[in-house]
Amino acid sequence: MAIQSLTVKQIISRVRQVFPNAPETYIMSLINDALNELGQYSQKSMSAKINIVANQMFYDLSDSATDSSSNVMGINKVYRVDVMDDDDDYIRVPRVLDGEPLMFDNTSESAIEEPS
Amino acid sequence: MASNIKYPEDKVLYFIRGDHLGLITTYSSTNESRTDRKAYQAFDHSVTNGLLLHYYGNPSKVTAITNTPDIDNLFHSAIVDYVKKCLYMDKAGTESDAGMAQIALSLMMQHEKKFDQAVKKYGTKKRSKTGGTRAVVPNSFT
Repeated sequence: MAIQSLTVKQIISRVRQVFPNAPETYIMSLINDALNELGQYSQKSMSAKINIVANQMFYDLSDSATDSSSNVMGINKVYRVDVMDDDDDYIRVPRVLDGEPLMFDNTSESAIEEPS
Repeated sequence: MASNIKYPEDKVLYFIRGDHLGLITTYSSTNESRTDRKAYQAFDHSVTNGLLLHYYGNPSKVTAITNTPDIDNLFHSAIVDYVKKCLYMDKAGTESDAGMAQIALSLMMQHEKKFDQAVKKYGTKKRSKTGGTRAVVPNSFT
C-alpha cells in the first residue's frame, strides 16, 4: 500500500509555485525549523538505554545527550523511566513530584553546572 | 554489570530537573544503615544499560532534497504552510511598496493560521492512533 507523503523536493516545488527564486538551502533550513516546531506537538515515541554509573545522581537529557550506544537521543519529553532489576528485566519506577530529596549526593553532582 | 536491585519499583525514584534526570534509590549494596534524612542517594553500583528511557523525541532534520520529513505524513502539508509563512514574512519586511507588503502580511497570516490549525488545533486528533472498542478489566480481588 502506498501512502501520500512529501519529499523535501516536493515541498520545495510547492513553495516555488509562489516563490520561484527562493534558495533551496534557505527553504531546507525553514523545513528544519518547521520540524523543530512540529516536534513539540508530535508524538514520536522513542526509547533509549543508558548506563547507570555508580555514585552519579544526574543523567544528561540535553539535545546532545547520547545513549549507551553513543546515539544522540534528541529528547523532548520523558514520559516513563524503567530501571533494570536483578533479573535483567526493566521495571517502571515512579517519579518524585517535587524532585527535592533532602540530601543531594555531592560526590555525584558531576552533571551540575558550576560557575567558573 | 548487572543490577543488584530486586524491586526497583519500591527502591528507585526519578525526577527531572531542567536538562537532567535525577536517579535516586534507598538501596545500598553494602547494607549501609541510613537515616531517613539520607535515605535517598545515587546508585552505588554501575549497571550496563540499566536505565530505559521512554520519551517523545525530536524529528531528525532533513539534509538532502531526497529526504522525507521525519514526521507523520499528515503534517507534511503543514510544513509547506510553515515555509510559505516565513517567506511571506520576509517579503513583507523587505517590500518597499506598502500595498504589496500588506498583501504579503495578510497571506503570511493565512498560512500561519493553517499551520496552527493543522498542528495545534487539530493536531491531537491527527496524531492519535487510538481506536477500537474499549473494555474495562477490573482488578482481581481474589
